[in-house]
Amino acid sequence: MVIGETQHTPRDSLSLELRRGALALAVLVELRHEQYGYSLKKLLADKGLEIDEGTLYPLLRRLESQGLLESAWRVESGRPRRYYRAGAKGETLAKELAAEWRTLARVIGKLIG
Amino acid sequence: MDLIDRYAHEVGQYLPHRLRADVEAELRSLLTDSVEEQARLGGVTADEAVAARVLREFGAPKDVAARYAPEPQYLIGPRLYPAYVTAVKVMIPILAAIALTLVVAGRFRHAGEPPSAAPFMRATGSFLWSAVVNLGVMTLVFALVERATRHREAAGKSWDPSALPPVNDPDRISYFGRIFALYVIAALALLFNAFPDWVAVFVFHGDVSTVYPLLTPAFDGYLPIINAWWAAAFVLNLVVLRQGRWKRPTRWADFCLEVFNAVILLLIVTGPPVFRYDLLIKFVLQWFLVFSAIKSCVMLYRLLRRRPHEPWARV
Repeated sequence: MVIGETQHTPRDSLSLELRRGALALAVLVELRHEQYGYSLKKLLADKGLEIDEGTLYPLLRRLESQGLLESAWRVESGRPRRYYRAGAKGETLAKELAAEWRTLARVIGKLIG
Repeated sequence: MDLIDRYAHEVGQYLPHRLRADVEAELRSLLTDSVEEQARLGGVTADEAVAARVLREFGAPKDVAARYAPEPQYLIGPRLYPAYVTAVKVMIPILAAIALTLVVAGRFRHAGEPPSAAPFMRATGSFLWSAVVNLGVMTLVFALVERATRHREAAGKSWDPSALPPVNDPDRISYFGRIFALYVIAALALLFNAFPDWVAVFVFHGDVSTVYPLLTPAFDGYLPIINAWWAAAFVLNLVVLRQGRWKRPTRWADFCLEVFNAVILLLIVTGPPVFRYDLLIKFVLQWFLVFSAIKSCVMLYRLLRRRPHEPWARV
């Protein structure tokens, strides 16, 4: 599954809309443990969720500006990296979104049959 | 890597200054990670060719910056843009019509003289100049309205149905009217302060024009107080637009401005000569003064009796 900004047909744009909300949830859940941008991308990819970097990195900044993530610069292997992790507000929201996700998945599952 | 530095810098150019350095630094770090990983997977050196491939996938700098931007970055947003286009479409033909009328009037006035291209050239030049100035003022007004009212669009997401105004709402504002008022105030302030010589009667004799300025240097003594009125009226219109409707404080402010207006007119009418045709212009201003005084009384009565502001408003 790849999530990105490319939209060509109505199918592409609807599909993107469907998945976009899930992306924030996935990021909040995975950032219970500290990651920097590229390591988070790889982590999500390893679990089957491929995300365009051009979508993921701005999302991290937006979630941080909303007070859901915390970040800090650290130098690792001679390179400065910005590490993110979910703050208290982000963790609470992740739990709420996860509950919503489960309910939605169950209902849509029933509808689809 | 030069390409990554150039890319991060280019993205930064589209971002607000306070975000620029931080986003650029993060992009450099992330893209370098990505390029090294791609090179490792492909068994090649992390060179500019790999970087170019990664950057192509990452997206055009402008698109990436748009995703980083914390808020919409435009002068006039999609909410006001149609009204702006309409206003410009109305303004340009009016200015063109005025310029054409001057040419035709000049032609009739000098019907016996041989035709000359000079009046037409002069009118075209004056039309282009006034179009540029008016377009600037109009754009400035719309940009200010955009900034003043942007917050209400965001607040609209949590609106309260019980706060809906009644169908016959005397406090409802005409957005077009308020924006038009802002435009007129800005245009007049610009005209009287920057181009006072244009407040004049222009008489054309063939290719030669004679300008009779209506304002004498003594008028400059009134300009500070008139400017204060324009500034107050401009701010009041912006506040009313921002609030979306008339409220008691803005109604009172409007009344005070009307009284202020009457006082300025009184000072000019009873003061020393300040116009070229002083008697004639002051005769007209006297009627404005009478109208302003009556309007002030009506406004005060309606404010005290809590009646609708405009006599024609239905309740």
